[in-house]
Amino acid sequence: MATSDFFHPSAAFLMMAVILPFLPGNRRWKWLLLLPPIAAIYAVFTNQPGDHLSLGWLGQTLKLGHVDALSTVFAQVFAVMSLAGLIYSLHVNDKGQHVAALLYVAGGFGCVLAGDYLSLFAFWELMSLGSTFLVMLNRTRESVLASFRYFLYHTLGGLILLAGILLRYRLANSFDFGPIPADGAQLADWLILTGFCVNAAVVPLHAWLPDAYPRGTVTGSVFMCAFTTKTAVYVLARAFAGWEILAAAGTVMAVYGVIYASMENNARRILSYHIVSQVGYMVAGIGVGTAMTINGASAHAYAHILYKGLLFMGAGAVLFSTGTAKLDELGGLAARLPWVMVLYMVAALSISGMPLFNGFVSKTMTIAGAAEAHRTWVALGLELAAVGTFISVGLKLPYFAFWGGKPTDYQRALKPIPANMYCGMAILAVLCVAQGLCPEILYRYLPRPEAVSEFQPWTVWNVLQAVMLLGFSGLAFYFMRGVIAPHKALNLDFDLFYRLIGRSVLFFVCRPLAFFDGLWTNVWNTVGLRLLKAFGLGTSVFDKKAIDGVVDGSAKSVSFIGHLGALVQNGRLQEYLGLTVILALLIMAFFWYGL
Amino acid sequence: MSSSNENKGFLGSFLAAQLTPGRIKLWRGIFFAVLALAALLNLVIKNHHPHFGYDKYPLFWPVFGLAAGLILVLVVKKIIQPLIKKPEDYYGDI
Repeated sequence: MATSDFFHPSAAFLMMAVILPFLPGNRRWKWLLLLPPIAAIYAVFTNQPGDHLSLGWLGQTLKLGHVDALSTVFAQVFAVMSLAGLIYSLHVNDKGQHVAALLYVAGGFGCVLAGDYLSLFAFWELMSLGSTFLVMLNRTRESVLASFRYFLYHTLGGLILLAGILLRYRLANSFDFGPIPADGAQLADWLILTGFCVNAAVVPLHAWLPDAYPRGTVTGSVFMCAFTTKTAVYVLARAFAGWEILAAAGTVMAVYGVIYASMENNARRILSYHIVSQVGYMVAGIGVGTAMTINGASAHAYAHILYKGLLFMGAGAVLFSTGTAKLDELGGLAARLPWVMVLYMVAALSISGMPLFNGFVSKTMTIAGAAEAHRTWVALGLELAAVGTFISVGLKLPYFAFWGGKPTDYQRALKPIPANMYCGMAILAVLCVAQGLCPEILYRYLPRPEAVSEFQPWTVWNVLQAVMLLGFSGLAFYFMRGVIAPHKALNLDFDLFYRLIGRSVLFFVCRPLAFFDGLWTNVWNTVGLRLLKAFGLGTSVFDKKAIDGVVDGSAKSVSFIGHLGALVQNGRLQEYLGLTVILALLIMAFFWYGL
Repeated sequence: MSSSNENKGFLGSFLAAQLTPGRIKLWRGIFFAVLALAALLNLVIKNHHPHFGYDKYPLFWPVFGLAAGLILVLVVKKIIQPLIKKPEDYYGDI
């Protein structure tokens, strides 16, 4: 089943997730966490293009290892990010969090390397489960509630995707996962697109993201910000390149995200809304669909994973150290968390597209590509979003977190930040600067090498334009710093409608069900139980007379299994979810190694 | 509890020293000087591949950055947020 020179990165993460709970508790196991990402990095640089790991299942061929230029660039950045993320979380003692992160990352690799819709769907759902636990294991009421909303929403998105996949199978008689032409698109294609758009946080399906990510664990959100939306960007780039609707949707996302990022108070929610904006650039690039914008979207996804991971690490470090991520409660920390501030600023300048940093070489490629394809409104919308990016993430967040016009805050007790967190941040910061200074490091892996030479980032004009655009939007921030000062508030978003829909489903489905359930219980109590008792009496007589002693053992084992079943069915949904993961893994392992 | 003489390292001490009014004025001066220099350079270095029409004129991008920034902040904070702002625990799930 396996070709000898191919190694699937998910295998290392899955194996680690399975053995981690059984390792003895002296914390030396934490170093083993670095093995899967190192194996993954080795794998992405050595795996050869082609279809690997094809296995038959129920008459279908599952292609688990589809390697080409597009999947390689995403797998590569996933591998790098998983290493930085696991280093950042080495101090965490909670094995559950590590297992969730490992499963989640395994799902991400699986999606990116999937060559057919069935394996894509399986890994897609694995990601959804893993990330649910990364939110839940923050272990506050707020996080647990958010994780259930997140899981419900992604299950719904997954079902829409599954419906599309099955409908498509009826039409095309194949689960092959490849480009879908925009002309003559069927309902099945639109369903698949909708399922992908849920995970890509396309407005108005995006509100799960700023709901869940700010409530994840400090380290869990670092993983989540990198994988879910970028996996969705990858599948969109593979299947839906050139769909004009995505160009419009991406531009709306880019502007919508910065509008909310400018309003919010919680640092991690600002960054979450900003993911919507940044993924908008990629979705727009995919929608325009020229070789240059596909390159731009891929380059931007690569750069984005590095600097957004670093931004979440920086905000997470502030939260870890001070106990809050709310900007109105922070300020005056620059001198006390100086390296967090510097590392955060590397990411902030990267995301803003400042020359010397990697956003400059990726963002400008997408915008120039859109402009050259004569999508003037797309390009202009993305430039507007660039201004909002610098103001919200580049200036507002660090200004109010680290300065805020306040003197150095010596009163606040700070929890020391472990060295491994700094180490994880430093790796990403070095990569952000390296790619900015030497774009070739990034460009050589782009999926359309023939179009790379069409764009030169380091020209005098491009540098001057970026400095002028960012400098003068900085001036706007300087004038407006009093107006933009954050305050505690909840800003309504589309999740208001999700909640309304959820409540009406509860009302229209659960109420009648509860009514019939009550009715049935009455009937059962009056009729069914009596019949059962009479039957029981009969069998007990039969038992005593006929088979006593013969099958006592079987009665005991039935009672034992019943007892076990009762234990498992304890009504705690999180344990059901955990059991689902274990069961799914066992089934996957069975098919992976057993066939 | 920390105090002002905790060991901040060279970077922390440097940053703490930038909060005096004189230093803030200096940094502001540097910022304005960079902006002025960039705008002056734009009179010499022109955009040879304008995409939007108006961007063929010098100083388009300074004006765009400043105007877009001012309008964005004003619209977001003065118009949009007052319309959709609710108490933090509006949904009762905190």
